[in-house]
Amino acid sequence: MNWLMAVLLVAALGGAAPPRTHTVEIRGMEFHPAELTVAPGDTVVWINRDIVPHTATAKGWGTDVLTQGQSGRIVARHAGMIDYACNLHPTMHGKLLVRD
Amino acid sequence: MFMTVALILTTMQAQKPAAAPDLTDPEVAHVAVTANAIDIDLAKFAQTRTRTPAVRQFAQTMITDHSAVNAQAAALAAKLGVTPADNAVSQSLQTGAADARKSLEPLQGAAFDRAYLDREIGYHQAVLDAIDKLLIPTTDNAELKKLLVDVRPAVATHLEHAKHVRSELGGASGK
Repeated sequence: MNWLMAVLLVAALGGAAPPRTHTVEIRGMEFHPAELTVAPGDTVVWINRDIVPHTATAKGWGTDVLTQGQSGRIVARHAGMIDYACNLHPTMHGKLLVRD
Repeated sequence: MFMTVALILTTMQAQKPAAAPDLTDPEVAHVAVTANAIDIDLAKFAQTRTRTPAVRQFAQTMITDHSAVNAQAAALAAKLGVTPADNAVSQSLQTGAADARKSLEPLQGAAFDRAYLDREIGYHQAVLDAIDKLLIPTTDNAELKKLLVDVRPAVATHLEHAKHVRSELGGASGK
């Protein structure tokens, strides 16, 4: 078996899609989309379109404070449902569902 | 608390929108800047008085957000060549703010927290009403109107935030 076949075999057996990047827009004091499903290894980017600053913060991780036009990212590591909120506006909520 | 604004809004509701006071755009800009500045000042005072983390955090959000909005308003006014002009609505907001400060001054602890949040709930509700019924309808410049439209959800979120913190404090409204 040459190296190319080995790579193809691993890819076929593993079945893992390459990591993707998803974007959540923060506008009008809401996360869009408010619920997002991603795979482990995927990156989620939050971009703030509002005049006022925001964060996307969950237990154990969070973006920096994002002013207008700024973005922050996390890489989803483990499967599960994650509730997050804006640290500055606790009535703003979002959900991340991480699954294979 | 905001007699002039309340009076104007009541009059408008009774007499159709044609009765709305026709503020000029420089006057609308002044009302917007004043409304933000009032809330920043009261939040700074609250931070020197409260010992409750949720109240302190709420006050910090008011300072952060209203400062960001005022920076945007100032930038827009400069771009449009508009000099904000004092007017009766701005003056009534300032009178209301001075009265609120006076009534909060003697309070401490839980009584202060409750009264501050009650004031913030009333204030943000009044500002929302003013945005919807007075400021947006009377504004001519499209960019200034858009700023007001863009700011509205933040004011609505502050109102919900204030109600949430207030409900966690418990106790009756008032002193």
